[in-house]
Amino acid sequence: MSQEQDNPFLNGLWKESPVFVQFLGMCPTLAVTNSVRNAIAMGLATTFVLVLTNVLVSSVRKLVPNQVRIATFIAIAATAVTVTDYLVKAISIDIYKALGPFLALIVVNCVILARAEAFAAKNNVSRSFADGLGNGVGFTLGLTMLGTVREVLGAGSFLGVSLFGPNFEPWVLFLLPPGGFITLAFWLLLFAWYRDRKARAAAAPAAMQEVHS
Amino acid sequence: MSSFSIIRCLGLVSLISGVLIVGASLVTKDQIRINQEIIMRDSIAQLLPGVEKQVAYGVEPNGELTRLTSVDAKGPKMFAGYDKQGKLLGVVLEASERGYADIISALYAYDPATKAIVGFSVVEMKETPGLGDKITKDKEFLENFRKLDTSKPIVAVKHGTKKNPWEIDAISGATISSRAVGRMLQKSMTEMAPIVTRHLDRIQRGTE
Repeated sequence: MSQEQDNPFLNGLWKESPVFVQFLGMCPTLAVTNSVRNAIAMGLATTFVLVLTNVLVSSVRKLVPNQVRIATFIAIAATAVTVTDYLVKAISIDIYKALGPFLALIVVNCVILARAEAFAAKNNVSRSFADGLGNGVGFTLGLTMLGTVREVLGAGSFLGVSLFGPNFEPWVLFLLPPGGFITLAFWLLLFAWYRDRKARAAAAPAAMQEVHS
Repeated sequence: MSSFSIIRCLGLVSLISGVLIVGASLVTKDQIRINQEIIMRDSIAQLLPGVEKQVAYGVEPNGELTRLTSVDAKGPKMFAGYDKQGKLLGVVLEASERGYADIISALYAYDPATKAIVGFSVVEMKETPGLGDKITKDKEFLENFRKLDTSKPIVAVKHGTKKNPWEIDAISGATISSRAVGRMLQKSMTEMAPIVTRHLDRIQRGTE
């Protein structure tokens, strides 16, 4: 296994991006990405919960009986979410309102349980911390990429700053639920096309060289 | 694995979770209350420009007013705003009504001297982004509440057909949300305008 493949932070960040590769947590991914600000806030809140849950799960992993591990992981995740809920409310009520019910729903975001079960339950605390952080930042990055496209096309602004002036007719569809699906589909299409091209390029050199020589 | 160890594990996890949650709640409680009060103060100041002093009243079911000291008290409330000289600028009242997606709740300013609504701002809503959510910031729509007459029933009319001072020019594409705003103001005014009028002397003094 190469160095890069074994780095839990980089794996979560991009190679196994929760949004574009693992397809985890699709509900918040589609629901709160109608502006860049909401996407970043949701991503950061999820990152915080993910890191906290991963560290806690990893530190108790040897003490938890196998039969009740899922129940324990969910209790830990729910605690982390409730604490986050209070913290966000104390930091900014505006952000709290924008996230609405989706903040409490982080607890059922499958990224949390998936990382707890697939990684934190089998790895030490520091690797689990890196995994949580990587997946969290990767989730934030994915959400922000969706949020950017949707806000720019749907409202003509980026982070609330108008980009095209008053004559821009907002493409409201991109702020509505279908816009979330469409944007996600186009990002996936782009990545699939890029991967495909890279795979062809890797297979082709032999043939290419023959032609050139 | 014996059932005892399972019970011990779950019990311990629940206990630690409980302690963490109560701890977080205690640590953040004061800051959350301060935030809520700041938001309330700011929105009242926005609705009544030039406001220097604010007094909060709780509205009892029998129409009596009680002086409040904290904004997170339960039940309907009103906020009286005064300028530097202590002159009553208006009262800020709460209104809510079912919109297109969920309950829309709002604050609005009522000037008892002219019997007109002089300001409106949405507190919470889940209306469609790009359409219904325009009720929060559409300039043309908010212009309706610069001076909205309340002597006749308030009603939202189709975009561009507003003729009378008690009509709200609806946002095109957001008729349901606009109508909900009209209904919530009418409902709240029917209930609250008589109470404000009845206690006007006391509210104007602003000392009790």
